Amino acid sequence: MTAVTTYWNRLSVPSRVLLVALPTLLVLGGLATLAVALLVAPLLDFLAANPDLVRFAIAATLVIVATIPTAFLIILLELKVIARMNLRVGPDRVGPFGLAMSVVHGLKVLAKEDYTPRGVDVPIFTIAPVAVFLATIMAFLVIPFAPGLVAQDFNIGLLYFFAIGGLNVVGLMMAGWASFNKYSLLGALRAAAQAISYEIPLTLSVVGVIILAGTMSLGSIVEQQAGSFLDWNVWKQPLGLIIFFIAGIAEANRTPLDMTEADQEIVAGFATEYSGMRFGFFFFAEYVNVFVISAMTAVLFFGGWNAPFDWPFPVDLALDPGSLGLGLLFVAGLAPVLGTVLLALPFWLGSSRISTLQALLIGFVLFNVLVVGAFLGWAFLSFDWVVGLFWMMAKSYLFVLVFVQMRATFPRVRVDQLMGFAWKWLLPASLLNIFATAIAVSILANR
Amino acid sequence: MSTPTRPSLDDPALSIPVEHAGIFDAIPLARTERQQEFYALRDGEMLLNMGPQHPSTHGVLRVILKINGEQVTDLDPVLGYLHRGVEKLCENADYHQVISQVDPLEYISSLFNEWGAVLSFEKLLDLEVPRRAEYIRVLSAELNRVASHMLYMGWFALDLGGITPILWSFAERDEIMEMLAALTGQKLLFNYFRIGGVNGDLNHEFMSRLGDWMSRAGAQLEAGMSLLNENEIFVRRARGLGVIDRETAFRMCVTGPNLRASGIPFDLRRAHPYSVYPELDFDVPTRSEGDSLARYLLRMDEVRQSIRIIDQCLHQMPDGPVSARLPRLLRPRPGRAFSAVEAPRGQYSTYVISDGTDQPFRMRIHDPSFLHLQLMGLLMPGNLLPDTMAIMASLDPVMGGVDK
Repeated sequence: MTAVTTYWNRLSVPSRVLLVALPTLLVLGGLATLAVALLVAPLLDFLAANPDLVRFAIAATLVIVATIPTAFLIILLELKVIARMNLRVGPDRVGPFGLAMSVVHGLKVLAKEDYTPRGVDVPIFTIAPVAVFLATIMAFLVIPFAPGLVAQDFNIGLLYFFAIGGLNVVGLMMAGWASFNKYSLLGALRAAAQAISYEIPLTLSVVGVIILAGTMSLGSIVEQQAGSFLDWNVWKQPLGLIIFFIAGIAEANRTPLDMTEADQEIVAGFATEYSGMRFGFFFFAEYVNVFVISAMTAVLFFGGWNAPFDWPFPVDLALDPGSLGLGLLFVAGLAPVLGTVLLALPFWLGSSRISTLQALLIGFVLFNVLVVGAFLGWAFLSFDWVVGLFWMMAKSYLFVLVFVQMRATFPRVRVDQLMGFAWKWLLPASLLNIFATAIAVSILANR
Repeated sequence: MSTPTRPSLDDPALSIPVEHAGIFDAIPLARTERQQEFYALRDGEMLLNMGPQHPSTHGVLRVILKINGEQVTDLDPVLGYLHRGVEKLCENADYHQVISQVDPLEYISSLFNEWGAVLSFEKLLDLEVPRRAEYIRVLSAELNRVASHMLYMGWFALDLGGITPILWSFAERDEIMEMLAALTGQKLLFNYFRIGGVNGDLNHEFMSRLGDWMSRAGAQLEAGMSLLNENEIFVRRARGLGVIDRETAFRMCVTGPNLRASGIPFDLRRAHPYSVYPELDFDVPTRSEGDSLARYLLRMDEVRQSIRIIDQCLHQMPDGPVSARLPRLLRPRPGRAFSAVEAPRGQYSTYVISDGTDQPFRMRIHDPSFLHLQLMGLLMPGNLLPDTMAIMASLDPVMGGVDK
């Protein structure tokens, strides 16, 4: 016993940890291996029997992961575009042209203290950001990004979208109520009033589209707008588009309808008492919401992933690598070296300030850019879903830019003006839109 | 007259309801009947503390709002967070030093603070100021007025939720501040006017910057204004907001642009002319509506007039000295003097009593911001919460001047 104690006392702290941890890990690892060996076969069988479930799990994971670059990109756009409109430069220090600024913002909120003030309702205070965030990204599930690239194409996709969008406000109410702060409470009540008022015109504005399409599946709605840009719903439903976009601004709590977080009046609304990543979740959700509304605008009224015109130069890139034989190996081995040197030459010759190594580095980077560009071009021409994704993203971010531009140019409307606008103008206009669309459709159908 | 006794918090009649304890922490101890009435809440009412750390209280104003839903029913301003005792400081400085003491009062337009003090001292001393100095004073002060009004435009829009106008107007203001810095050596608190003149003649950098700015000032102003004037949301929110009628304006001692926006053409530069304003050709713009939009538009009209005045100053600028010859230590004979200048916010008055020593016996500064802030109590109740800050911004108070 004494020998063991003496030996133990001589050990340094890391060694003691290792001495305990290694055998434990070995035992646990062995048990885990055994369990996997026993469980994997039935699990695989189960998954093979339910491919839909596998597909859904993968798609849902991808969707959650895809929200991160989306939010970062929109934050960056907002920083840079608003800066330009404000006669400022915007962030230009982190990364090339300040491109990494939103990443730094993300890390910053992660590193901040996650403070829970005295007097808050702790469980609700903690759950609220998650509720808001989840409600927002769950709307991602039904957005058709490209042919075949949709997490789940429900036959009631549009209905699901509005139902999930309505859940957002529950989280805001929870945050505002649990915060034990009068500004938060005012913000939450404003959010509730605003959401109830604007959900109605938002939902009614797309009834015209549903009448035209005869389905609520978003994939089918997009497919029915195939052809040139003249086949898009925007020409048939201009009023619906206007109502949908305005109500969408209110739904995403963006200027000029951002009553809930009007910082000149109620500091930060429901988010006043939040700090750190909980605050980050709210803003993550807000930016994702901006994208969701923009993407839905593109899907419902601007043809989704349909190109505005057919690609006029059909290219056949069906290349069989096997036909090249040993030449392929030669090209693959030689092309990077040759390309790097060739691209480095002008820099090496052109300026005496650039050393050989620097010139080669520039050549290497340029070569990689070229290869990636060529690869993307090839993918664009070869795969339907790449083209679809390109057009879908181009249209969505066009509307994101509109959102950003509105933030920079408009003052905020007053609460009563906001409500009056929803009930006196948007609601009658959306009813009129439904009425006119229904009459037009029935007349055209009977003829 | 006995001094009022200071009631203690232990007095049960004045004690604070326990459920509101948090908000009362910084409320002054002495409770008046009015305060007791204010803090007795009826059903559905709620107290909302706004400031001194709130995104849109200009400086360190603190207002306790009594709200019913979104509607403000009553308010209790708490002042004094920026009190520095400037008047007392002035009484302990000699006449030359007073100029730098009054500088930080209305720090947005500090040349007018200096002008008020300098003008009263010159009356006290019965002093003749060189004409070139007077023209330089008018020139620099009108530039400062333009800068102040540009900032007002941005602030007002910011309190209505628009983030771009303040940066556009700051670009203009910054250019003016840069040229005044070239003239005076400082960028915010200029300390430029002297008793009997100004400190230093016009220099090359100032003149070249001024010429550059004058060539595009009008166009820049119109571009900045088009952001707001053609914005439906802005106009709809500002129109009919916080209306001051003529009687109220008289009763509450409103002066300056806020008074002229209520339709009364009272401008000290014309009504009680000082300096070389009688020789200059400019209009006194007025508007009849008396609402926030009128106050904003009137200030923009004033900027146009100021540009006219600057143009005339540059053309009529005489040669000569820029300062009267005075001893280092001034001992005016015992007496009193009053001066009033038309500052960007209204009538800025200075009253000075001399006892024959080298320091003022009493210096009283009458600041327009303080009087305009009183209007809060009349204009805000009945309005919605978003409009309270907009009304305050439209009155354009500067807390440095209010708290002194």
